[in-house]
Order: sequence, then C-alpha cells, then structure tokens
Amino acid sequence: MRGLRYALLLSATAVVPLAGQRPLTVTGIQSLTFGTLIPGIPSVVSRTDAVKSGRFDVGGPHDTQGRLTFTLPSVLTGPAGATLPLTFSGSDAGFSQSQNIGSQIGFDPKQPFLMTFSGQGRGSVFLGATARPAPTQRAGSYTGTITLNLTAFP
Amino acid sequence: MKRTGLSLALLWGAAPLAGQGVVIAPHAVFMDARTRSGAVLLYNPNTEPVEVAISFFFGYPATDSAGIIVVRTVEHPDSTSPSAASWIQAFPRRLTVPPLERQTIRLLASPPPGLADGEYWARLVISAKGGQLPVTGVADTAKVRVGLTLEVRTIIGVFYRKGAVYTGISLSGLRTAVVGDSLAVWARLTQQGNAAYIGSAHAALVDSTGKTLAEMKAPIGVYYTMEPRYALPIGALAPGRYRLRLDLSTAREDLAPELVLPSPPVRDSVEVRVP
Repeated sequence: MRGLRYALLLSATAVVPLAGQRPLTVTGIQSLTFGTLIPGIPSVVSRTDAVKSGRFDVGGPHDTQGRLTFTLPSVLTGPAGATLPLTFSGSDAGFSQSQNIGSQIGFDPKQPFLMTFSGQGRGSVFLGATARPAPTQRAGSYTGTITLNLTAFP
Repeated sequence: MKRTGLSLALLWGAAPLAGQGVVIAPHAVFMDARTRSGAVLLYNPNTEPVEVAISFFFGYPATDSAGIIVVRTVEHPDSTSPSAASWIQAFPRRLTVPPLERQTIRLLASPPPGLADGEYWARLVISAKGGQLPVTGVADTAKVRVGLTLEVRTIIGVFYRKGAVYTGISLSGLRTAVVGDSLAVWARLTQQGNAAYIGSAHAALVDSTGKTLAEMKAPIGVYYTMEPRYALPIGALAPGRYRLRLDLSTAREDLAPELVLPSPPVRDSVEVRVP
C-alpha cells in the first residue's frame, strides 16, 4: 500500500509545471484527545503522550526552513452554546526533525516557531493542552478546531 | 502488533486520523509577464476527501528584534509595494480533492497596465480540512466529551516577474557573541535590485590554520532589509582567536536553477575572541 502511495505521489509531482521543485506537505495525523472529562477536574495532555497528543507531520525540501504557527481555540463549544476552556502552556508544542515523539524541541504554540526540515525533508509537530471543565459544566459534546499554519520560505 | 496498537487506541479514546492535508507542489511559484500564468498541484494521499480553500495575501520574510525570521504581513499594501496579491487569481478557489487523486490550481495574473519592470510578490494560502472528527469517548449524554478537528494551512510564495529583473545583496554589521555552547552570529542584509534575493547563507568558524571548527548553512530570502541571527554549535572552544566567515550566494538546492536569479557571492569575516 505504501509503495502504491509513493508511486502515485511521484507521478503526481512529475506533472507539476516548473519541475525540479520539491513538494510540500502538512498532514494532521492524530487529533488531540481528552476523551471523557470529569466536571471540575482539569485534564492535561502532554505533548509527549503518544496516544493523546495531537500530531502533524510535515514534509518539504530537505534542510530548508518553514515557519510554524498555530491558530488555537481558547474555548470549545458545546450544547446550547456552553463553552469549555482549553489552555496551552508555553511548552505545549514540540518539533521533532526525526519524527520521534521522544526527541522534541519544545516551543510555545502561541508563538511562531522556525523549523528546519530534516535531511530527508521531514519533521513532526506535537501538541498538548489542558481542558478545564467547570464543576458545573454542562454535559454533552464539545468541539473546536486546531489549525497548524506552515509558511514555506523563500 | 497492529491489532495491539488499535486496541490501545480504542481503549484510550485516541483519535488517529486517516490523515488530513494535501501534498503541494511546487513550494514556490514563479510566473512571468509572457505567460502570466502558473500552476500548483495538489495531491491527496489520504483515504478521506480533503476540502481545500485558496486565498492570497501580501507578506514577506523579515526579522524581529531578536533576529528571528518572521513573515511580515501587509493588509493594505500601498501603491509602492511590490504586491501581486490583489491581481493574481486562483482557479478554482474552493475544491474537494478525492482520496488518492490530484487537482491542479491555475494561477492567472492580471497586472495593472503600465506595471514597471521588476518582481512582485504574493503569498498563496492553501487551507486543507478533512472530514469532521467524531467526538471520542463513551456514548453517555451525562458525560462531558471533547472532540478537536485539525486543519492545516500551507503558505507558499508566488513571484511575478516582468521585464528585466535582477537582484543582489549587501552585507554589513557582521558581529558575533559566544552564548553558552553556541556562537551567535548577526549580520545586516539588504536586498539590491528589483527582485528578492533568494539564496543561501554559509557561516564557518575557522582557527588560525584555516581549519573549520563549526559551520552552518541556511536558505535565505531577503526582500528588503533583515538582520537574521544564526547559531553555530561550538561546544567547549579553547580560549583564543578565531575567525567567523559568512558567505552569501544564490545557490539553492530546492529550486530549479532557471528560477533562481544569479548574483555574485558576497563575503565578510570578523574576528572572534574566546576568553
């Protein structure tokens, strides 16, 4: 299956006008996951949590740079307009050139981060957060969107 | 092993995605006044359709007070700005890319009459959003459950060249400081000509015999003036005098040679004293 995808990818890029430039990709791999919350008790997901942390994979020309920024929700929206606070600390995001969750450079997801693609043109971005349900939090499903922006240079 | 991983994911309520995002090529688009057109190819390598929206803005790389590269966005560029954001259009601007399929975005430039020779810039935003994620957790309406959707936005440079375009760079104010186990390097770079300077910076720390002790190479794009800060890992360097050399050239491995505007290399060096 991987071989087929790779072949398709190659054939896709082969027809690109101005051939010779390399493709760029940002892929959401795993969403940040809290599961079921208990009202009044904050739930912390670490960026090093392989199961619950959010993960994006990035790819681009090797050894080139890109700027990462997040657009983050401060609250999640639930039933009848109820909201649930979501907070991000100064080291809740991490970048790994080797795409290894155990080998990250931490950064503040509220600030831009200048990343360098690995020699293989890859990297991964991990994200943690804290959900803070109030003691009187209305039951139901709460949703929000996390956006990762990658600005490629030149 | 795969079955174990899946079971663990279900147990913890994790939300692995089929993958949300598209492959984009090229990572910079160069257009000229002869064809006034360009193309960006999108490929969806995932098993779910991806919704894509296209937009433009005017912005360029610059540096902040700490020498970090940022993108300076100009919401309302004046008539003297080399902005192409208002007169380059994308077709289509909204689309859905089916799984394992590709779509081409056509770019068409309609520059104002009498446009002066030179290079004009825009940033192309490609927003990709996969299907809505199910809210994870148990199906109990008395519980508080959370589901987060991931969206990715990729921003690439678009360059429109008209007539004779040329570039160059001036280098001044080269200075260094030992910071922990690194050598911080600053320089003031100013773009010359009527096009952005797209190239590479190579910094090397050498000893009195000319032996290279540390080096780094980074791509640069200088659109106006910037003062980037670089860091060379030097470890525990013996006290003494060294020399830091900084070379700027228009060599770029990630761009086809015909797209890069050539310019003579620029060099400078400065003495480094380690106490």
